[in-house]
Amino acid sequence: MTNSAFRAWSPARILMWLVLLVCAAMSIFPFYWILNGTTLNPNDVLKGVLAPGRDFLNNWKLATTAYNLPLYFTNSLVIALGTVIFGVGINALAAFGFEKYRSRARDRVFGLLLLTLILPQIAIVIPMFKMFSFFKLLNTRLAIALPSVMSVFIIFFLRQNFKLFPTEIMEAARVDGASELSIFANIVAPSMRASFASAAIYMFIAQWNSYLWPLIAALNDAVKTLPIAMASIMYAYTIQYGALMVVVAISTLPVLILFLTMQKQFVAGLLGSVK
Amino acid sequence: MALRGTYERYLNRFGWFCVAPSVLFFGVFLAYPILSSLYYVTRRWKGATNTFIGLGNFVRMAHDSIFLQALGHNFIFMAIQVPIMIFLALLLAVLLNQGIRSFRGAMRLAIFLPSVTSLVVVSVLFRALLQENGLFNNLMIGSHLISAPIGWLNNSFWAKVTIMLAITWRWTGYNMVFFLVGLQSLDSQIFEAAEVDGASRARQFFSITVPLLVPIILFSAVTSTSGTMQLIEEPNILTFQGGPANGTMTAALYIYRQAFFVNFDFGYSTAMSYVVVLIAGILAFIQIRLLGGERATR
Repeated sequence: MTNSAFRAWSPARILMWLVLLVCAAMSIFPFYWILNGTTLNPNDVLKGVLAPGRDFLNNWKLATTAYNLPLYFTNSLVIALGTVIFGVGINALAAFGFEKYRSRARDRVFGLLLLTLILPQIAIVIPMFKMFSFFKLLNTRLAIALPSVMSVFIIFFLRQNFKLFPTEIMEAARVDGASELSIFANIVAPSMRASFASAAIYMFIAQWNSYLWPLIAALNDAVKTLPIAMASIMYAYTIQYGALMVVVAISTLPVLILFLTMQKQFVAGLLGSVK
Repeated sequence: MALRGTYERYLNRFGWFCVAPSVLFFGVFLAYPILSSLYYVTRRWKGATNTFIGLGNFVRMAHDSIFLQALGHNFIFMAIQVPIMIFLALLLAVLLNQGIRSFRGAMRLAIFLPSVTSLVVVSVLFRALLQENGLFNNLMIGSHLISAPIGWLNNSFWAKVTIMLAITWRWTGYNMVFFLVGLQSLDSQIFEAAEVDGASRARQFFSITVPLLVPIILFSAVTSTSGTMQLIEEPNILTFQGGPANGTMTAALYIYRQAFFVNFDFGYSTAMSYVVVLIAGILAFIQIRLLGGERATR
């Protein structure tokens, strides 16, 4: 920018840096506080002791035994990965079908799907609960995963990306005698890897962090996911804050790693909705 | 478009083959629940049995002071938190985009970081940080900002503030990223021209940046409003079951508790969820008309 006032250390510039630094510090601080909390005894966590303590092993042991961390972690992982693998598969296929094989009937179906895009989840969970309880499927990992396998948002996002794939290349492959399925699998899909990665990250995080439906569908401990387990811990009469911080840290870590290693795809997935 | 020949028919069949699995899932996990809710909404549960009561659930709702209060809380959160957050996100985006040149990437990363946490984690975090003898109060007392600890979690007024603080922490960086992308798509020549004409930074922000970003602000406003209408994790965990004394009870939490905790009346809860859907829809419509209309007149 050309404004010379912003080159020197003018009051405006100092204020600007102050705002940014304060906001950045407030954003990061809780992460430090969680990590540090895993080393403290419960009282020090609440008091907000900021220097590391010596209770990490103790807290870890409590988290893995009393708080069943390995079980909940496994549940969360299995459910999220299952949702992503099947979800990206069927949503990508649907997006491909809607975009590259257009017909008036399918366009109408797509319109119907879009209508439900902004539907609050609270409006569906009650009939969904009734449905799953009728089929005696409540309290299974399958029940937690199934409703989020198909995602209208992901179909919409991938469809936007399939738009960019030149139809001429598909025509050329057809002339060479390729079947439609092999065109999808061998020609279109490989060039869409970045979009699939964005979709996969988005779906993984949504499922990993999901609360309302797992809360309703998972009634016993064996199938609870990390968010539901953390919520139960918070409801207990006494809370082992040090061990809780271990659970919080472990449940935040995968998403944090995904974000830090795949920032580009991560943000592309977010922005998919405004393109 | 009439389908000619067997080849077109083959392509059409393949198109249906592609969309079939998703459409099946859509039918079972979205369309069916939505349609079957039409049955539940007309019924009243008593224990395991239920009877038809027509629109009785809606009549009951009009006299349910906790539900009306809960809706009121949703509106309070919406009216206060959403504008503050959008302004803050916009301000941070502008500062990052035009104000500074060094550490831009690191700052953006830091401010976005809260968006990786789950809402349950956010609730746990703030519940621990905002205890009466917790870190936040200790810091404020230590720096002489307050003399006695604030009851962030057990005073009805402060509990609402707590929820808004938590949401703002979680979502400001998220919204900022959208604004940053929007800002980067703007032509820097506009700002240079304004600069030449002597427009101040504040003037540039309100007269150029904001109007040009209206579509993205609209997107943020609509998604944030709809998110606020669905608030459930924060009041359930952070301020504990909508406490103190229903002081942070939200519509979604009340619906959940009525259906799965208090009296298992799925009909009444379904009816209340209809109201939430209706309000969310109306709000989105109003925002699109307001902000979209402004764009049309320019």
